[in-house]
Amino acid sequence: MFAESSLNVRNKRVQNLFRILFMMMTILLIIPVIIILGTLIAKGGSIISFDFLFTDPTNGMTAGGIFPALLGTIWIVAVALLASVPLGIAAAIYLNEYAGDNWFTRIIQLAIINLAGVPSIVHALFGVGAFVIFFGFGTSILAASLTLAIMTLPVVIVSTRESLRAVPQAFREACWNMGATRWQTIRRVVLPNAVSGILTGIILEVSRTTGETAPIMFTGAAFFLPFLPQSVFDQTMALSLHLFVVATQVPGVPDNLPFGVALVLIAMVLLMNSISIAFRMYLRGKKKW
Amino acid sequence: MKSKIIIAGSIALATLSFSITASADRQLIQNKGSDTLVNVAQAWAEEYRNVDSNVAVAVSGGGSGTGIAAMINGTVDIANASRNMKSKELAMAKKKGQNPIEHVVGYDALAVFIHSNNPAQTLSYEQLKAVFGRGGSATKWSDLGLKVPGCKQDKIIVVSRQNNSGTYAYFKKAALGKKGKFRQGTLDMHGSKDVVDLVEKTPCAIGYSGLAYATDHIKMACISKETGGSCINPSVKTASDRSYPIARPLFMYTNGEPQGEIKKYLDWIKSDEGQCILLKKGYAPYRDVNCS
Repeated sequence: MFAESSLNVRNKRVQNLFRILFMMMTILLIIPVIIILGTLIAKGGSIISFDFLFTDPTNGMTAGGIFPALLGTIWIVAVALLASVPLGIAAAIYLNEYAGDNWFTRIIQLAIINLAGVPSIVHALFGVGAFVIFFGFGTSILAASLTLAIMTLPVVIVSTRESLRAVPQAFREACWNMGATRWQTIRRVVLPNAVSGILTGIILEVSRTTGETAPIMFTGAAFFLPFLPQSVFDQTMALSLHLFVVATQVPGVPDNLPFGVALVLIAMVLLMNSISIAFRMYLRGKKKW
Repeated sequence: MKSKIIIAGSIALATLSFSITASADRQLIQNKGSDTLVNVAQAWAEEYRNVDSNVAVAVSGGGSGTGIAAMINGTVDIANASRNMKSKELAMAKKKGQNPIEHVVGYDALAVFIHSNNPAQTLSYEQLKAVFGRGGSATKWSDLGLKVPGCKQDKIIVVSRQNNSGTYAYFKKAALGKKGKFRQGTLDMHGSKDVVDLVEKTPCAIGYSGLAYATDHIKMACISKETGGSCINPSVKTASDRSYPIARPLFMYTNGEPQGEIKKYLDWIKSDEGQCILLKKGYAPYRDVNCS
């Protein structure tokens, strides 16, 4: 009764063809990731040790560890998050929950999109002009982190907005009908339901902040520092710049050192991502809709 | 809630790093500039910890232009440069209330690097001009009467530096003359080491870089003033006695006559100990020193 007609057979074939095609594209996507990680582990894995992570570089940075750079990166990322996350979330809440759809909001949105499109080296030069010279922070963690914060602000704003928008309008209306104010609704209903999406944005920001080199090169990161940073007004070494330096600027570096630094950099990003993803899954599990 | 975690985290972090380093009243010296000098500057900074633990020297690279710009803006204590400050730059510094004083801390010989298979021994100024200069006659190795094994195309691959590099500016002036220009289509590398790395792996290539960046796997040309004339090999010795023609002084600039800790640091750099570190890095001391 339901014998396949030739048209059915053809459709099925085409369907299979596209399925395989798209699957191959997906596999193609993860190949570079595997190659990069494999190369780094093969070439740089041998240098990773407790001493490598927790001692100072010695002998003209051709030996010893990377502790000042590692700690510096943590400082820079932490301060950048501290500046951009509250600001970004506040802006997103305003745009999504309070602002009406008028020309002013649209201009702000346009500005955010454009900010996201500015190349990182332009942010770097802006950082030098604004934070290093005009505000007089000097080359410091503060200047570097604020530069990075401005650079990653659009990521936080856009992703926070998206996750706020994903909270059904009916939730808000139900809450208002119970007599809650806008702020009470946001605080008790909207934000708790959007937190997993907001975290995704922060993960993206952390990854990008950790790896950026250009914006911190002129604003806060040093080629070499004989001390560890003690406040946000100190300069610091950073992993990304350290990788650039040992890979291209210093003669006589053993081959596995740059690969080791790259491996630590990637491992740091992956570690932070996994922690946030686990946290996000936990939160999502508690969601009731 | 999240920001609370972050705040708590960064406070913990701050206390952690605070407890690791013994916090003392230390004086910071900002040192920035030339990529040529940056490795010596780093070695000095690293060693100076053992000389005076109360003084910390922060070193950054970026190029001579970067260091000089920072001196003009007053954001560094010592600017490293592998070229003189131009009169225009000096005027700008004066206008901003800075008074840059020049200190020669060593010499650097620029070597012309070729692949280890390259049979060339001597290169004259004339030949350098023909290879590197705009409109120069040598675009193939056979134009110089050479046959380079492994270089099938015979085309000379000219490796140069980015144009804010002091090495770029000095080589241009020394080898191509005051009005000289590099030929178009050179490969411009962002670092002395990049040039050496590339030439080492490319039989057709020729490039220039500091002597200190030489490795065992690369060849340096003996430089003669005239074709067929006697040539001088680049070495620390020929750079120190100024007989090698493409050697340049390395400068450190301070704002005004150095004082206090900055003066102590510069004096130490010029002392036998400092100069021996410079020598060990492959540069030539500015005066005779005895290093064991």
